[in-house]
Amino acid sequence: MTTDTLPAGDDVHLRARIDRSLRFPLLFFFTSAAGWLCLSSLLGFVSALSLNVPEWFDRLPALHYGRLYPVHVNALIYGWAMQAGFGVSLWLMARLSRNVLRNPVTLVVAGHVWNLVVSVGLLSILLGWGTSMPWLDFHRGISPVLVISYVSIVIWIVGMFASRAEKSAFVSQLYILASVFWFPWIYVTANGFIHQDDGAAVMKAAVNSWYISNMIYMVLAPVALAASYYIVPKVTGRPVFSYALANIGFWSLVLFTGWTGMSRYMGGPLPAWLPTVGGAASIFLLIPALAVVYNQVKTMEGKLAWANYSPALRFAFFGSIAFLVGVALNAIVSTFPIGRTLQLTQAQGGIDLVAVYGFFTMTMFGAIYFIVPRIVGCEWPNGPMIRFHFWFSAYGIGAIAAFMIFAGLAQGHVIANYTEEFITAVERGKPYLAALAIGWFLIGLSNLSFVAQLALMVIRRGRRDDEGPTLIHKKPEDYFTHELVTEKAAQA
Amino acid sequence: MNSLKPFLILIALAFLMPWLVLIVYPSARLKAYVTEVAYAKEDDTKDAVFPTGRSYLVAGARVYAANGCAYCHTQMIRPTYAGADRWRSGWSGREEDGLARETLPFDFLGERYAYLGVQRNGPDLSNVGHRIKEAKWHYDHLYNPRKVVAGSIMPAFTNLFTTRPVVGQVSELAVDVVDRGGSQYEVVPSGEAKALVGYLLGMKKDQKVPKSIVAK
Repeated sequence: MTTDTLPAGDDVHLRARIDRSLRFPLLFFFTSAAGWLCLSSLLGFVSALSLNVPEWFDRLPALHYGRLYPVHVNALIYGWAMQAGFGVSLWLMARLSRNVLRNPVTLVVAGHVWNLVVSVGLLSILLGWGTSMPWLDFHRGISPVLVISYVSIVIWIVGMFASRAEKSAFVSQLYILASVFWFPWIYVTANGFIHQDDGAAVMKAAVNSWYISNMIYMVLAPVALAASYYIVPKVTGRPVFSYALANIGFWSLVLFTGWTGMSRYMGGPLPAWLPTVGGAASIFLLIPALAVVYNQVKTMEGKLAWANYSPALRFAFFGSIAFLVGVALNAIVSTFPIGRTLQLTQAQGGIDLVAVYGFFTMTMFGAIYFIVPRIVGCEWPNGPMIRFHFWFSAYGIGAIAAFMIFAGLAQGHVIANYTEEFITAVERGKPYLAALAIGWFLIGLSNLSFVAQLALMVIRRGRRDDEGPTLIHKKPEDYFTHELVTEKAAQA
Repeated sequence: MNSLKPFLILIALAFLMPWLVLIVYPSARLKAYVTEVAYAKEDDTKDAVFPTGRSYLVAGARVYAANGCAYCHTQMIRPTYAGADRWRSGWSGREEDGLARETLPFDFLGERYAYLGVQRNGPDLSNVGHRIKEAKWHYDHLYNPRKVVAGSIMPAFTNLFTTRPVVGQVSELAVDVVDRGGSQYEVVPSGEAKALVGYLLGMKKDQKVPKSIVAK
């Protein structure tokens, strides 16, 4: 993270060896994640469509909104987000701990199990075995297998950290460890309380909302933050602006996230202090978000324009800004004056997508654009196509979030005006939901271009000339590229 | 942070606190709070939460979940400080009897999970049992929503119905009669549809608040 000088020869060889050891597991995770992402974008489009023209889906029970929407969300989370996270975490941990991955085969096997579990889970929703519990829709029998396969994947990440050569730890490593530690905990907690405990039914819904929030901010977000804490200094060639601030950002996230989530059911049949605590914690999440974004902007100071050229930097920078926006929106809807209107409308889904797509997914794209050339030994085939991917994704997610929030405002406004007929709320929301379908269509197009490029990289048909990394625009004179060139030379 | 152990202890502590306070403690409290107390005639002073006697509750809820109803319908009437649900006609219970109120934890007694809901693409169902009292309305609506409610965006749940030849008279529950090659076929609700409609007809979350709960 602090290599702002040319690496020594041995170092280059070590990195090349690390990258080679990770090639197959990483390509496996990235390609299967990208596949799920395409499927999820398509289903996002179809499910938005089904809200507008439900009569098209009358004879197709498996394609009703109530089944398609959860499949779309769960494919996005467990298919794409978790797997992209596995790949990026593995690579970051290996590089930062300076450890070669010793069991690529075991990891690929565990990855297959994960994909199998996700496929069976999604099928269980489509075939009518879903639970209608957001983000936990898989049939209950699937959860133990999912946890086992998760642990058998991340055990290698923890192992690499435990056997690292240097005694110090980077903030990126801490983020990854926290994420790896938290997922089994919340997943087992949520499934245990919901399916095994015979307690109050309302508490189970509360645990569900707590789970969603923790998935976003303590399982997905740390991986993306780890990636951007790696990418930003690497690409700009500057050390992290402030390590103290990085620590504050990390520990405040760890401290506050566990309390968030239940504000989704404010006014619900719960002890009122539960949503209240959740709302307060959501506002406190602004502290880590501000710390992280300020730190990154300061790190990039003077080199902000490079986000025009480096795909990794551009996606990661967009992601960080979206993190701040997502946390801010989440804080705003956690308060009564605004939450009472936007609660129980399309808006919350849009705000979750700002975090899951605008922040996490975009940062993962950046990390994948950074990592894949290093593990396959050739550069991305086409810069303008990356530009296409960026703009269509950025406009797509922007449009989706905006339209979902506007739809929520329109619906919430009618519901708040209790003399108006409820069907008016449905009518007012409809135009925005039509636009939502367009947003997912844009995102689907952009992801097709991403998958096409990734496929070329997997079969190692990328660029192999001596012009350095593929950039979005033609590179300026002072662009910092020596690190990439030397590594490529070492791999050749 | 030089070694794994103190780091793990610190994050474990940071995670343990909210876990205990937000999940373990309130779960235990609510479990005691909403326990059913069987009605006993000789002890009429004991103000119990009466079992609602909805044996089809679990089967109906399963159909409700499997078809993703909870993604568009809520079961959550918010108190006046958090929205206007209480004032919407028919949503919060029997206003004429002074029983309209917000949803409370014991309303979900006997259910495995409270489908509070995500979005209101459709109306709240907390007291749909008071608003709609005929099963036939539900069957017609599930089979062809837009025939019953103009402008509805609910999909038609044709998967909850079966087609069978008409024997004798057309069934009272038939939602449609089709002519196939000269013989008559009727579309009737399946067992799943009956469970779901039973669940909806019993959806009355406006029981009188038991004194035992108010006192606590």
